[in-house]
Amino acid sequence: MRGGRFVAADAEQQLDRAETRRVMRRLARLLRPYRRSIVVAVGVLTLQTACLLAGPLLVRRGIDQGIRGQVGRALDQSAVAYLVVALVALFLGRVSIMMVARIGEAFLADLRVRVFRHLMDLGLDFFEREKTGRLVARMTSDVDTLQELIQMGLTAFVQNVLLFSGALVAILLLSWQLALCTLVLLPPLILGTRWFRRVANRAYGEVRERVGANLATLQEGLAGVRVVQAYGQEATFAARFAGTNEAFHDANVETARITVRYFPFVEYLGVIGVAVIVGVGGWFTTEGIVTVGTVAAFVLYLNNLFEPVQQLGQIYNTVQSAGAALHKLFGLLDTPASIAELPGAVDLPSSGAVAVAGVSFGYAEHLVLHDVSLTIAAGERIALVGPTGAGKSTLAKLIARFYDPRVGTVSVGGVDLRRATLDSLRHRIVVVPQEGYLFTGTILDNVRVGRPEATDAEVEAALARLGVLDRFRALPQGLTTEVRERGSRLSAGERQLVSLARAALADPAVLVLDEATSNLDPGTERAVELALEQLTDHRTVVVVAHRLSTAARADRVAVVDDGRLVELGTHADLVAAGGAYAALFASWTATSVQR
Amino acid sequence: MQWRWITLSLVSALCWTVTKVAIPLLAAAAIDQGILGHDTRALVGFTVAMVVVGGIQAVVSGLRRYGAFRLAYRVETDLRQQLFVHLQRLDFAYHDQAQTGMLLARANTDIQAVREFLMLGPLTAASLMVLVAIAVVMLLQSVLLAVLALGSLPVLLVAAARFSKKMGPVSFALQHELAEFSGVVEESVSGIRVVKGFGSERMQVRRLEAEAADVQGQALAASRLRSRFLPLVDFLPAVALVMILWYGGHLVLDGRLEIGQLVAFNSFILMLIWPLRMSGLTIAMAPRMAAAAGRVDEVLATEPTVVDPPHPVALPDGGGDLRFEGVRFGYHAGPPVLDGFDLHVRAGEAVALVGATASGKSTVARLVPRFYDVVDGVVRLDGVDVRDLRVADLRSQVGLVFEDTFLFSDSVRANIALADPTAPLERVERAARLAGAADFVAALPDGYDTVIGEHGFSLSGGQRQRIAIARAVLADPRVLILDDATSAVDPSKEHEIRAALREVMAGRTTLIIAHRPATIALADRVVLIDGGRVVAEGTHEELVATDARYRDVLAHIGEHEGRVPVVEEDVA
Repeated sequence: MRGGRFVAADAEQQLDRAETRRVMRRLARLLRPYRRSIVVAVGVLTLQTACLLAGPLLVRRGIDQGIRGQVGRALDQSAVAYLVVALVALFLGRVSIMMVARIGEAFLADLRVRVFRHLMDLGLDFFEREKTGRLVARMTSDVDTLQELIQMGLTAFVQNVLLFSGALVAILLLSWQLALCTLVLLPPLILGTRWFRRVANRAYGEVRERVGANLATLQEGLAGVRVVQAYGQEATFAARFAGTNEAFHDANVETARITVRYFPFVEYLGVIGVAVIVGVGGWFTTEGIVTVGTVAAFVLYLNNLFEPVQQLGQIYNTVQSAGAALHKLFGLLDTPASIAELPGAVDLPSSGAVAVAGVSFGYAEHLVLHDVSLTIAAGERIALVGPTGAGKSTLAKLIARFYDPRVGTVSVGGVDLRRATLDSLRHRIVVVPQEGYLFTGTILDNVRVGRPEATDAEVEAALARLGVLDRFRALPQGLTTEVRERGSRLSAGERQLVSLARAALADPAVLVLDEATSNLDPGTERAVELALEQLTDHRTVVVVAHRLSTAARADRVAVVDDGRLVELGTHADLVAAGGAYAALFASWTATSVQR
Repeated sequence: MQWRWITLSLVSALCWTVTKVAIPLLAAAAIDQGILGHDTRALVGFTVAMVVVGGIQAVVSGLRRYGAFRLAYRVETDLRQQLFVHLQRLDFAYHDQAQTGMLLARANTDIQAVREFLMLGPLTAASLMVLVAIAVVMLLQSVLLAVLALGSLPVLLVAAARFSKKMGPVSFALQHELAEFSGVVEESVSGIRVVKGFGSERMQVRRLEAEAADVQGQALAASRLRSRFLPLVDFLPAVALVMILWYGGHLVLDGRLEIGQLVAFNSFILMLIWPLRMSGLTIAMAPRMAAAAGRVDEVLATEPTVVDPPHPVALPDGGGDLRFEGVRFGYHAGPPVLDGFDLHVRAGEAVALVGATASGKSTVARLVPRFYDVVDGVVRLDGVDVRDLRVADLRSQVGLVFEDTFLFSDSVRANIALADPTAPLERVERAARLAGAADFVAALPDGYDTVIGEHGFSLSGGQRQRIAIARAVLADPRVLILDDATSAVDPSKEHEIRAALREVMAGRTTLIIAHRPATIALADRVVLIDGGRVVAEGTHEELVATDARYRDVLAHIGEHEGRVPVVEEDVA
């Protein structure tokens, strides 16, 4: 299944080794455009780390040559040199944070746009399969996890790795004997850290799972609060929430149990380290193997060995979530677009003649449409009628190439839609959905969705063609009125008018309409009808009809039942024929109130 | 409960402070007496002492963290529970205006910010204790050395404070940009049918690019602030190390200090780097925590307006006699939706409320169970002002079926038995039968145990409405209100429900808000509502015959009802 990988990636948060490798390789590829800046940034970070590591060496020189050698000037020189490298480290620290931030944020902005562009290119089938919330989470919380890493931990992560390796090299060069005695502590440190990573992984995975479950309960409690109150079940739901809330708490406490074992353990190893350096180092001093200054430098370096390990343990979580987030984002990027442009695609001609030939279509193994053939002349209005689930909306979507048929072809102006360029496809065939959906922005912006390059005058002309320009001009800020919060300031009918104006602006040859099922306010109902009249004039129109009055006005009616085209003809012919349509029409006239 | 963790945290933090200071002093003694004094036994003795004290330190360090974490998690969990309970209590008017996303953020990110602060707070306090202890030890050795070594540290605290002050608005602005960015994503995904229908994918991408650039700009502003502060956290301790090396070194040369003590002072400074970073982080977090806590508190401080009266009246026996007397009401101090609304529904009577969209008929229904309180006038149930009753008593006697049915992610049985979670299966089955839901429930994979709702089996709009009716039936209220409760049911199946509804309505006061004439016909009496008041009443036939406004309203609705019943999309 196409969505399989995407869904699977969501189910488990932890990546196995192979997945991690794949994510890293892919990340490296994406980072290629930044490689020059990355090299410079790593260079600066290395230099800064070198400055930090120079400190203990200067302390060693001050003690051995200055204090032990009784040379005051050597002591002064060492102190001044230390101050200088600290100042350089300060400067380089500022530079490196900004460099890493610039690279990271540019990469992230790029990734955001890239994922979103891909998302927009995916077919409608994908959006029907995936929940909106999950898709939005990909673009928000997953990308935010990466943002957090860049803002909070990326520089520290790189620097700690450098600091640790640098300190290791430094002590080996100073005295390999004392270094070996110190390094005895590394195996327990590494083993302990590996244990921590393994156990903490599992525990934090549990936390993430339970935070999700807890949020779901919370969300449900909020969404259903009216029903809860209506039935006086506040206490039941408080108890239900307490269940997931306490489970979340227990998972958190489990992570606390793990971290309070690990971090003091590392701290203790550090103390043992100092004891070993002082004890063994002291003995080496009397044997003349090392100087007192070297012992002091070792004590300082020990800090550079242990501190990074502890810090990396802290950052590790963020790094890991970022890896998981990247994995999920890559999963989304890898979901192929079901509707893609073939090489050598041609523009659709301006003709609005539609031919559906022997089309079968289905989701998974279940067929929704069986061998449907239908020819629609240019400029003809055809109504698709049928019970719920019969397949009429699916047929309309196939005509707009929201999906490709499994068998058979859909062609417009004689060109198979699969061979058409996507650009011409979306210009020649426009789908107006049931509900007038508005985006944040002005009315002008919203109509312009129909043709983004249109000028204000063209938008106004489109509104005028539908006879609704004055209506919107009469709003407080006219056409520049902001329609916030999904257009809550406009009524359902007005939203529908904006939606129709989009189609008028797009000026397509073929118009696919999904008739609104919900009631419109009486004030705009008439305006919507008039606008529809205007819009459908001289165009091929396929309307998914929910009202038989609409069907009656169409040139021809196609009755779809159980995935098959069962009747086709004019309203009058079908009523006269006494088939399925005639029965539907009879039951309607019976229940309808006489006007 | 909390005191246990606070005590554990404090006691272990004190012990931790002592061990933290003792270890470098032991190292100093080992160097001075052991190495420089060439005393092997002292060297071994002090070294072993370090290992032993280190072990104690590890244990108390663990306990100190554990106490702080347990406390923080406990407070977090309790606070979230309190918030949830409070939100469940807040009235409809509040929930109408509050955005779910905003409330989720309160319960999630804001409370988490409080928790993080609580975790770092005690750790920071312990670190500051260490700082004070070290200052005392150093002052005892040499006042000038202590001043030189520790003098740069106040600078660090001042810088941290300034940093956090500037960081607040910047991170707020970043959050704002991130929210705008998510807004565009959410809109494009929710409106994907429009985007695809008009082929405006590129336009959406351009909008998103602009938002992504805003986020990037704001994130860089935050990084710029960070780049000015964070390197100072490394630099200032280094200054201290330089001072110790230089001035302390000269003290050693003058014979006023031992080398071991010099090394110990170095260790002290190293020990302070991490606590100081932590303090900086905590200080940086403090305003965020305060803002988050303020936002949570704001919700908690909002009192519901629909509450039990101080001296509730017991609901007298009665059959659900319902009176509206001079009722005036408007949503959120807006223009009145109902004005001078008078209606008397006798016990056991069924009345249909008919009116154009926004005529106020649904509002009438919502005033009965006190989802909102009237601005003026009074609503009486069996003679008692509904505001004089305990809310729970009132609502247990009013069953309201909404047009949009909310299903919980739970079994069919639990969804129906909402009013009485302990109801036996027979009662649930009976309610389902009366609501016309028994047949389709029986056909579900696990029957009454089938999990439905957002995370479960999807039901059609009509099926959902029948579950909602069953819910109301099970509650067995005196007053039943059906607000467009069968609008999504297939008209071909509605007659089955109508028969069942008649049985349910028998002996109950019923308000029916409906569009279909056949449903209106269930009522004994019809009232026409216009302009927030009753303008005509009578039987359906009388009104059709005599009232032009009534015919208009019905004809308008009839136009819609002539549609082939389609509620769900074809695509599952």
